[in-house]
Amino acid sequence: MAGFKETLKDAVRQMSFRTSLDKLKKKGVQNVNVLGVDRIIALIEAAVHRSLKSRMVGIDRDAVAESTKAEFLRLLRSNEDLQREKSQIEQARERAEEEIDLMRRELGEKRSLLRVKLEQDAMELVTRYSGENQAIAMKVAEICRSFAESGDASVSSVEERLMELVMDVVSGEREEAEVARKALQDREVGNLQRRIKKLNDTLVTTEQRLQQASTMKQFDRGISSIYREVQGLDGSDSHAGKKRELMVDLFKANLKLQKRGKGA
Amino acid sequence: MTDSKDTGEAGEVKKDHGVLYIGMDFGTSRTSVSASNGVRETVYSTVGYPKDIVSMKLLKKDVLFGKDAIERRLSLKLYRPLEKGVIKMGDDADAESKANLKAARDLIGEAIRIAKPRADELVYCVIGAPAKASIHNREAIIEAAREHVDSVMLCSEPFAVAYGLDWLEDVLVVDIGAGTTDLCRMHGTMPEETDQLMFDTAGDAVDAELAKQIQDTCPGAQFTVQMIKDIKERYGFVGEAAERVVVDLPVDGKPTPFDLTDQLKTACTVLIEPILEGLRRLIATFDPEFQAKLKGRVLLAGGGSMVKGLDTAVEKAMNERLGGGKVIRIEEPVYGGSNGALKIAHDMPEDFWEQLK
Repeated sequence: MAGFKETLKDAVRQMSFRTSLDKLKKKGVQNVNVLGVDRIIALIEAAVHRSLKSRMVGIDRDAVAESTKAEFLRLLRSNEDLQREKSQIEQARERAEEEIDLMRRELGEKRSLLRVKLEQDAMELVTRYSGENQAIAMKVAEICRSFAESGDASVSSVEERLMELVMDVVSGEREEAEVARKALQDREVGNLQRRIKKLNDTLVTTEQRLQQASTMKQFDRGISSIYREVQGLDGSDSHAGKKRELMVDLFKANLKLQKRGKGA
Repeated sequence: MTDSKDTGEAGEVKKDHGVLYIGMDFGTSRTSVSASNGVRETVYSTVGYPKDIVSMKLLKKDVLFGKDAIERRLSLKLYRPLEKGVIKMGDDADAESKANLKAARDLIGEAIRIAKPRADELVYCVIGAPAKASIHNREAIIEAAREHVDSVMLCSEPFAVAYGLDWLEDVLVVDIGAGTTDLCRMHGTMPEETDQLMFDTAGDAVDAELAKQIQDTCPGAQFTVQMIKDIKERYGFVGEAAERVVVDLPVDGKPTPFDLTDQLKTACTVLIEPILEGLRRLIATFDPEFQAKLKGRVLLAGGGSMVKGLDTAVEKAMNERLGGGKVIRIEEPVYGGSNGALKIAHDMPEDFWEQLK
């Protein structure tokens, strides 16, 4: 009984709303009538008993009242369970959304790191090219100087020295191109790419989970029965009479079982 | 509270959408449900709870049922809450009894959940229980179901099978479950104590015999109860074998083929003798004028009736020892009981349901 009253109090509290005296004053309220929760509970109980008394003459009112209270408590618990389930699903969804946000941020960071690295590589390449150009120019100048000093400027010797220079530069370039191709597999770039791939995969998985959580939030409402009302035996059934007797017997046996259970 | 369309002032769900009838066959091995929303499901009567916090985090569930529970049994404390057709509970409420009772309650809850009832529908359920389940057991089943439905009734399992097929007169129903075989004589009225027989030579007894046979004849073969059940359900037969049954069983970790034809036949044959004895007793105590009619309408139901050739073998034995008989196997052994229970639920008048609320 005490438990029931406490639950009823909780229910009344849940249905009431809170306000302050200042707010009431702002609304122009000067005086308020105060009615305690205990008094409200007593009024509800008295109303229920009066109603039962007037409408259920000859019926065990106490039993009906107790059964009604028990049903009320059961429904309240069932409602609490549903609320808890709903809040768990919402929490799961929020967690998934947070995870996705975090992953999106990480993905963005990794992408900008990769961009910086690629830009640095490009700069290094430009610097290196200008150094190489200068070295080639110096070599050409040296050849020209040696021709001037030796006085031997025949076509064949010029052709031979230039050919040597060109072949030297080309073979050097070829070696560097090979190294550059290998450099494409730069470890840091590879690592970044792997991380990005991993993050992408996780993002896809988490998005799927989010979708599942969102679907769950719709709650499985179940499948509707084909019947709107209680059916009962079909009068046109060829065994209707016999079946009616069987139904009565089965009901009596179950009623006896239920009464015994309640009595125990 | 939040949806004024569906709920009342105190959070009460208005059950104004319709009426869902559920028929349930609460069995030792399987629990089947048939519902008036078209759902028909079956779940192994196995319940598992995570052994510790680690397994709970891994499984992300407080309780697992059926095949899920069997597949993850290493991380679970596993219960088969029914034995010989009834909830395993002693008169002294020890921890094991309480755990089995809880598992049974959870299993009934799961069976009703898989019927997918709507929250705004009235749910009326009829549960088929073994013909001779104790009062204590019946009360426990009713209590467990009441937590999930608006009104519930129990009926004897073989009675539900016969009712579902509209065979109400001069029929002998043989319901072969995992824990028990129930025989029920239908003669147009509610079967009484004397019309029903129950014995425990059923599916589990076949499993035990098959395990013994394999142990004796297949040296080194390793197996579990679940493997034995799978073999029986797939290949079980009596009479003449259509083809040899060769099954791979591990020996020292290596799958090794074994011919289990004879072992299966021997194991499945253990069903015949008790059934015949039960039939004899129920026929012999029936009105002599109607005995021939009763012999001519023997109905085999339950998971055990799926053993190939069982109907022919029982019929042959009846002809030899009872002077004739006709045995018919029902079309859907797994759902025969739940379909019948659903039909009873449908035919039950409204005021009966109301009074049992």
